[in-house]
Amino acid sequence: MEQNESVIIVNDITKSFKVYLDKGSQLKERLLFRKRSRYEERKVLKGVSFTVKKGEAVGLIGRNGCGKSTTLKLLTRIMYPDSGSITMNGRVSSLIELGAGFHPDMSGRENIYTNAAIFGLTKKEIDARLDDIVEFSELHDFIDNPVRTYSSGMYMRLAFSVAINVDADILLIDEILAVGDANFQAKCFAKLKEIKAQGTTIVIVSHSLGQIEQICDRSIWIYDGLIRADGAPKEVDLEYLDFMSREMQNGKTAAKAEDPPPEPEKAEAPPSETENADVKKRWGNGMARITKITSYSADGKEQTVFRTGESIRFRLDYTVKEKVSDAVLGIGIFDMNGIQCYGTNTRIDRLAEFELTEDGSAEIVLEEVMLLPGEYQLDFAIETGDGIPVDYCRQAYRMEMISNTGDVGLSRIKHKWSV
Amino acid sequence: MNTIKELYAYRQMIFSLVRKDLRGRYKGSVLGFLWTFINPLLQLIVYTVVFSFILRTDIDRYYLYLFVGLIPWIFFSSSITVGAASVVAQKDLIKKIYFPRMVIPISYVTSCFVNMLLCFIVIFGVVIISGTGLSFTALLTLPVIMIVEYILALGMAMLTSAVTVYFRDLEHILGIISMAWMYMTPIMYDKSIVPESLMPVFNLNPMTPVIECYRSVLYYKQIPDLTTLVWAAGLGVFFLFFGGIVFNKLQRHFAEEL
Repeated sequence: MEQNESVIIVNDITKSFKVYLDKGSQLKERLLFRKRSRYEERKVLKGVSFTVKKGEAVGLIGRNGCGKSTTLKLLTRIMYPDSGSITMNGRVSSLIELGAGFHPDMSGRENIYTNAAIFGLTKKEIDARLDDIVEFSELHDFIDNPVRTYSSGMYMRLAFSVAINVDADILLIDEILAVGDANFQAKCFAKLKEIKAQGTTIVIVSHSLGQIEQICDRSIWIYDGLIRADGAPKEVDLEYLDFMSREMQNGKTAAKAEDPPPEPEKAEAPPSETENADVKKRWGNGMARITKITSYSADGKEQTVFRTGESIRFRLDYTVKEKVSDAVLGIGIFDMNGIQCYGTNTRIDRLAEFELTEDGSAEIVLEEVMLLPGEYQLDFAIETGDGIPVDYCRQAYRMEMISNTGDVGLSRIKHKWSV
Repeated sequence: MNTIKELYAYRQMIFSLVRKDLRGRYKGSVLGFLWTFINPLLQLIVYTVVFSFILRTDIDRYYLYLFVGLIPWIFFSSSITVGAASVVAQKDLIKKIYFPRMVIPISYVTSCFVNMLLCFIVIFGVVIISGTGLSFTALLTLPVIMIVEYILALGMAMLTSAVTVYFRDLEHILGIISMAWMYMTPIMYDKSIVPESLMPVFNLNPMTPVIECYRSVLYYKQIPDLTTLVWAAGLGVFFLFFGGIVFNKLQRHFAEEL
């Protein structure tokens, strides 16, 4: 097979599901209660097309119910599309339902044969792989015990080992790596990378963008049954996350609008709209007001989701009611537990106090923000030289950090190992 | 053609399902696998008692006459009745993973077939002990007859198992159909006593020539009539293709219907 050959060709597929209100499959029910067989048709995929080249690893992302898992099921041929076509060239293995066909009374070894046979392997092929499978599952001592005596972790380990050792040309994965302990997960991950390096085409559905970014060369974002974006994970995932966070905030505004007293919407709407709304979250003498906060990535794109290590530029728009002769601008970053991760202001940074005379804007660039993945809330403030708040906006802005490394804590610290 | 190639690739799965089915069939019973032999033997005793002492017939060695038709019939009828539920029974597998769905009826029918082959050990035993003996040349045609019946049973099983997914009542309806079918096939009586007016039904019944061939080999010790055998084979192939096409069409929505 050539390197650039397309191994998966998905051409304009659609799929609807019948949602039965009350389904009868017996003759009596069909005849007597014909009305009961009414159903609603729900269109899950509305025309999805993409091709995957040999050796490519593609991540399907999107929120629950967007059709990404359905797409994967269609790829495995468990279901067929209503229209459109799917071509798959090569042997397909799926890590969708691990351990299909496992029989609890049979030994681990016998189950390897049954399970591998379901993937279309012949006895000879299974014989050749048996050692690898057992080796990978780390179940040497238990391989001849009945599977019912296994713990669920052992069960999954065995199932995963079979599926991954099929030597498929195409590997389909749905929400993997919830298998076993951290060690085994790391091993699975390494194995996936190895398999990918051998030229296996991989399609993954996952909620963990970090996993996708580590393995995939490409992300496809499915939104409402259609492909919304298709490209490098770094770009598509960011776009997706940004969209999701906006959705989340919109959702919150909608929900909160009904609750009295209304809380100020900080990120999108300018604070001026929420004057007097929440004393606790905003205070100051009102001589000047912050009206809008925006954040940009290093290349000038407006976004609220950033990658650990990226530079972030904030722009503050303000209006001035009365002249502030000795203004100080401040910023504070808090994690969702309210722990301050960083804070500074122009005074701390030994900038000269400045005059605010007319409406304008100010900017601060945070270079190489090493905050680890998660959501953060930001405070912005204008003060006078002697610390009297002019406009202090607490939790005025929300941003999200993402990363594809698994390090933990509050902030990344640059480091080097020598072992 | 592609289907056949794919099924060949999945032969290990068919093999392992057949083995699982045969092993599981008598699991937990004291006599275990021996039941495969005991069951037909006991049936034979019942029929001998009933037809030699109570319902006397003028057919010579009636128990054997009946037995050589009944064993193949049991294979056929369990293929279509129990086989009908085979796809539904494997719904967990079907919903989870891809494999050629035809593997399921094929392996079920094959395991019934293996069971019949084992019963034939009993038949041969009876044939020899009763002093009927065997004709070697006639025996050579037996595998051909068996294959024809296998093809026929497989075609029917594909049909019933696929339709049952969409229409579960079929499983129960098939019980009565199979009983009626048995009486419409010359198993317990000779075709010669069938009234002329009913003959077309008997001739269209694909099992009629099959049973006649078995009887000819095992009871009359004769090579079966060639036209009967060809007719049986023709019907078998027709049902296999018909069942296969229907199954292939219906299997597309198995995962959603189950």
